[in-house]
Amino acid sequence: MLQQIPYRAGEFARDVPRRLRSYRARTDDEALLIHALGGLTTLLTFVLFFQSSKWTVIPLLGFVAVTAVGWRRQQAEVAKGLTFLTTIATVSILALIIGFLLWESKDIVEHMGLGLLTKAEEPLWGASNEGQIYSLTPMMMGTALTTLIATAIAAPLGIAGAIFISEMAPTRVREVVKPGIELMAGIPSITYGFIGLTILNQYFYAEFRTPTIGNYFAAGIMIGLMALPTVVTVSEDAISTVPESMKSGSLAMGSTEWQTTKSVTMPAALSGVSAGVLLGVGRAMGETMAATVMLSHTKGFPSPAFDVFSNYGETLTTVIAFEGGSASGLQLSALFAGGVVLFFTVMVLSIASQWVEWRMQQKLGGEK
Amino acid sequence: MSNATETELRAGHSTLGRQVALPVLGLAFLTFLATWATTFQWIDETRTVLGMTVLTLFGVALLLMAAGVAGIGVLSRFGFLDTTPSPTAGLPVGIVFGTLWAFIGMAVSLQYIGNTIVYWGPIAFVLGAVGLLTATLPREDIGSTVPSAVLLAVLGGLIVAGVLDATWVYEAEWTGAIFPGSELIPLLVSVATLLGVWSAGKAKEGFGAQGREVGAFYIIGTVVFSMLSVLALLIWFIVKNGLDTFLTGASLTGGHLNVPFASISFPFIEVPFVTNVTGSLFVETPGVMPAVVGTLWLVFGAVLFAVPLGVGAAVFLTEYADQGRFTQVVEVATNGLWSTPSIVFGLFGLAFLVPRISGGNSIFVGQLVLGFMLLPLVLITSWESIKAVPDEYRDASAALGVSKWQTIRSVVIPAAMPGTITGVILGVGRIAGETAPLLLVFGGAPYPSKSPNVVGQFSFSTEPPFITNQALLEPASALPYQLYATITAGVFPRPEIYSNQEFGWGTALVLLLVVLGLYAIGVASRLYFRRKLHYE
Amino acid sequence: MSSNTVDTDQMDSQLTTSGETAEDIEDAWSDYQFQGEAKLSVEDLDVYYGDEQAIQSVSMNIPEESVTALIGPSGCGKSTFLRCLNRMNDRISSARVEGSVEFDGENIYGGRTNLVELRKRIGMVFQAPNPFPKSIKDNISYGPRKHGDLETGLLPSLLGRDDTAEEMDLVERCLKQAALWDEVNDRLDDNALGLSGGQQQRLCIARCLAVDPDVILMDEPASALDPIATAKIEDLIEQLAEEYTVVVVTHNMQQAARISDQTAVFLTGGELVEYDDTEKIFENPESQRVDDYITGKFG
Ligand SMILES: Nc1ncnc2c1ncn2[C@@H]1O[C@H](COP(=O)(O)OP(=O)(O)OP(=O)(O)O)[C@@H](O)[C@H]1O
Ligand SMILES: [Mg+2]
Repeated sequence: MLQQIPYRAGEFARDVPRRLRSYRARTDDEALLIHALGGLTTLLTFVLFFQSSKWTVIPLLGFVAVTAVGWRRQQAEVAKGLTFLTTIATVSILALIIGFLLWESKDIVEHMGLGLLTKAEEPLWGASNEGQIYSLTPMMMGTALTTLIATAIAAPLGIAGAIFISEMAPTRVREVVKPGIELMAGIPSITYGFIGLTILNQYFYAEFRTPTIGNYFAAGIMIGLMALPTVVTVSEDAISTVPESMKSGSLAMGSTEWQTTKSVTMPAALSGVSAGVLLGVGRAMGETMAATVMLSHTKGFPSPAFDVFSNYGETLTTVIAFEGGSASGLQLSALFAGGVVLFFTVMVLSIASQWVEWRMQQKLGGEK
Repeated sequence: MSNATETELRAGHSTLGRQVALPVLGLAFLTFLATWATTFQWIDETRTVLGMTVLTLFGVALLLMAAGVAGIGVLSRFGFLDTTPSPTAGLPVGIVFGTLWAFIGMAVSLQYIGNTIVYWGPIAFVLGAVGLLTATLPREDIGSTVPSAVLLAVLGGLIVAGVLDATWVYEAEWTGAIFPGSELIPLLVSVATLLGVWSAGKAKEGFGAQGREVGAFYIIGTVVFSMLSVLALLIWFIVKNGLDTFLTGASLTGGHLNVPFASISFPFIEVPFVTNVTGSLFVETPGVMPAVVGTLWLVFGAVLFAVPLGVGAAVFLTEYADQGRFTQVVEVATNGLWSTPSIVFGLFGLAFLVPRISGGNSIFVGQLVLGFMLLPLVLITSWESIKAVPDEYRDASAALGVSKWQTIRSVVIPAAMPGTITGVILGVGRIAGETAPLLLVFGGAPYPSKSPNVVGQFSFSTEPPFITNQALLEPASALPYQLYATITAGVFPRPEIYSNQEFGWGTALVLLLVVLGLYAIGVASRLYFRRKLHYE
Repeated sequence: MSSNTVDTDQMDSQLTTSGETAEDIEDAWSDYQFQGEAKLSVEDLDVYYGDEQAIQSVSMNIPEESVTALIGPSGCGKSTFLRCLNRMNDRISSARVEGSVEFDGENIYGGRTNLVELRKRIGMVFQAPNPFPKSIKDNISYGPRKHGDLETGLLPSLLGRDDTAEEMDLVERCLKQAALWDEVNDRLDDNALGLSGGQQQRLCIARCLAVDPDVILMDEPASALDPIATAKIEDLIEQLAEEYTVVVVTHNMQQAARISDQTAVFLTGGELVEYDDTEKIFENPESQRVDDYITGKFG
């Protein structure tokens, strides 16, 4: 599918004139005028807003007026135009996010070059005798560590939970467990962080004498707990889409339910389950608040790399949350660069999980 | 090929095997619970029961389990029990035991021989291989009992013999942290009991396919049970720690309910923690009123922004756009927005909205940013529910000569409303607890002394933009932000009333109530609408 | 019995001059005696889906090593009845079964029945083909593997117990029996979901034979097949009856007449109206309703 995107884009572009002609043919002149005015005022509003002009309000009022007049005269056409605008707005928000993240991180990329992502010797962050240095490497390392720990918790437990809910639990139990897990997804992350800070961090500090209060391990555990419901619900959905007839077929041959789950249901649901795990990893990676309040915000590399109890503790998300409020200049730009790294990693995970899920539909639909 | 023995149609293989397996299972469950109770310090590990410390008791339990499990395996192997074992326990089991033994070999040789791969490498490899072979080579009844019995017995023996006790400490080379026996032993024991549960479960059903099924059921059941316990614990922690703060000065009849426009007032429930401001010296009990009001405004604004946009886009995508590349692009973009980390939304607000709208943190920017986050969820849920509206409705309406827009307005949107409403409520539950973007675009003083007064602050002028609202352009507090501010501020301004932590737990409880309340409403409305759909 | 059935009975009596009543019919066949042992005996079986009754106190004995056909109009409960015989109805949470089914003299609804063992011995081919999303070969060897009769893979081959050769023999034998071998022998490793509907159905029959059950339940095994494949399946069924007990649901009267030794006729509401030697049912049924159904007047 992915290789086809350029091809499809070309096809789409060639399609535009035909679409325009058919649109012209379908729409009468007055509606056309309303559409044009509405589009124009929207565009103007956006441009003026973009330039922080105080005149932004004028085209906005114009838009409201056009819509109001149009609503009385050509309600159907105006409704269509409005819904089209909302769709465009949704897509533009994503485009704007990408654009602004890249734009704002331009300075630090010019300043640091590739070192932004690779510099591993002190100084790592801040003004020093070498000048302004900002390296994201320790934070990427921190994100990798916490995400690994979180995944090690969320993936096996989540899959086990999904199997339990859809394949093992009696109906009564399922009716309690499923909403329970959904509820777990609703607890705000700052609450997890607060519990982690006051209970888990203290426990590790007091009993295991960690060098500081707060370490990657404790934060990873909390993040794993938070990602767990995502993995459970998405995997459970995938498992329950495996048709009953397939399971009956296996059971009718005298195989046990566990054999059926292992050899028929899980292989058939594999891609959906992996999509769930990928989404869970994405959630864990983007999780901010629990890690922000639990970690020590000391930037550096634990030695050995897998010493998850060290005094270091900073991830891409925590550094943005912790310093974003007061940063400026190159530091702020570095935070935006961190946002870019985060955004694109999570985006890749999201697209991968959609692709995997799409494959599953194809497969169950009978393709090889 | 067909060596299937004519087994009984009746279940319940050997009664003796069952009679041994059941107490082993019971003991394993009890021990599992007790280890966690010890970890959570509900049971003091130095307490003596039956003349032994709790830890020694764990060791004895492990030895008993080992004896029981190994006993069934050996009896079954020599034909004293009527079981149906497979020829081997299987490669996965072998790999699990092999890995366990390899790790044990590594840890022990690292500790006692030295940190050189020349030493620990071969030892780990040999032990791992032995573990793998002993689990896979013998028949299933031996292969799935004796290896775990050996592990249980080794651990139990070391504990009973006093080699491992509460004062023993594992000081690893690779970290500055240390691992005292008082904490490590319960953890090891709880892992070992899982092995015991698995072996005993298999033995209970007489091994074979059905034994494996029961073994898997017990393991997965235990894991899920632990997961739910963690959930219950999380909620219980908050309620336990927050309730005192929440109820400070509260009474059932102390408050007043003022009827608007008539000067009558009734006695009413009074909860000062919810109705008082935070940072004023003049209130008896500081509360979280400003944060509650801030959260309400945030949610209100976000919904106002996201719902029309999301529903509109869903209508366009299902009713007007042809299903093709365009919808595919929108779908990918929506899912992308949905999985974008919240802090990235914050960064975007900081770069795009803050300089253009308020020049600093403000409620309005907070509303917009949370609206951006809510948008994909609204779009996805209303898209799903509009797709679920049967085409017959549209056809029936079109057959009556009603125009497309009329059909959408009077048939499609109403039919899709329940799903959308549920989605919005669940989404609101999510954004109400969202903190990260608020740090960058919204939050103000950690302990505000007044609630934002949005309604009273509209002012008009002849200069563009003609209408302004000062309150919307100022920073404020919201429940999750309040919790964060409390955590980071360190000291509460009036320590004689609350410590910082007490205030934090109280805030966490209010936040939890708000969010879980919204979730409960969302889930209930989903059930309600689903039921209505089924019975009409 | 529901009032609806009584109505039909009255209608029947008006239609015919013989003036027979429901009791007469019941008497006429309920002491039906066949040659040989009963493999399955069903006693007073009632099945409910929630409050709806799908099977109404059915009693019948099914003889071993023969073909028993179940016929009747759509929705009369044939599939439901069939699923009772290997307890597949347990999978449907709303289904409730009362009465008893004895298999080789043991009541499969009397507590602590080992379902896995039961279903190994009573195989089933479903109304809609349901192959696993695995290769054709793996579909066939699935059952024997799960029952430990076939061992393949890394560990067995290391231990010298590898049954790959036996597996190939089994796959070939079963596919030949199900008249599918010629069509798929060059693509045994392809995904079974890529087969046509008819091929999938024959694959499911082959898959069931691989487990080597005592009883084979078939729910319209030939409904998706062309005449040639149907003929092959019919041959197969007749052949199977020498060794196995076969119960087959069909909508095709000629098919029932051709292949079965005895026939049970179910009519709407889930009652068993008549059960007798196939010849008797098709040539001289006791009940007028059965006659009407067979000759196509009613159903
Ligand atoms: N899972 C179920 N839940 C509720 N009712 C069911 C279920 N399965 C079948 N029924 C009902 O039980 C009755 C008998 O169904 P069954 O499938 O046994 O009919 P059938 O004789 O096999 O029909 P056909 O020849 O069309 O396959 C029908 O009225 C059907 O609606
Ligand atoms: Mg049927």
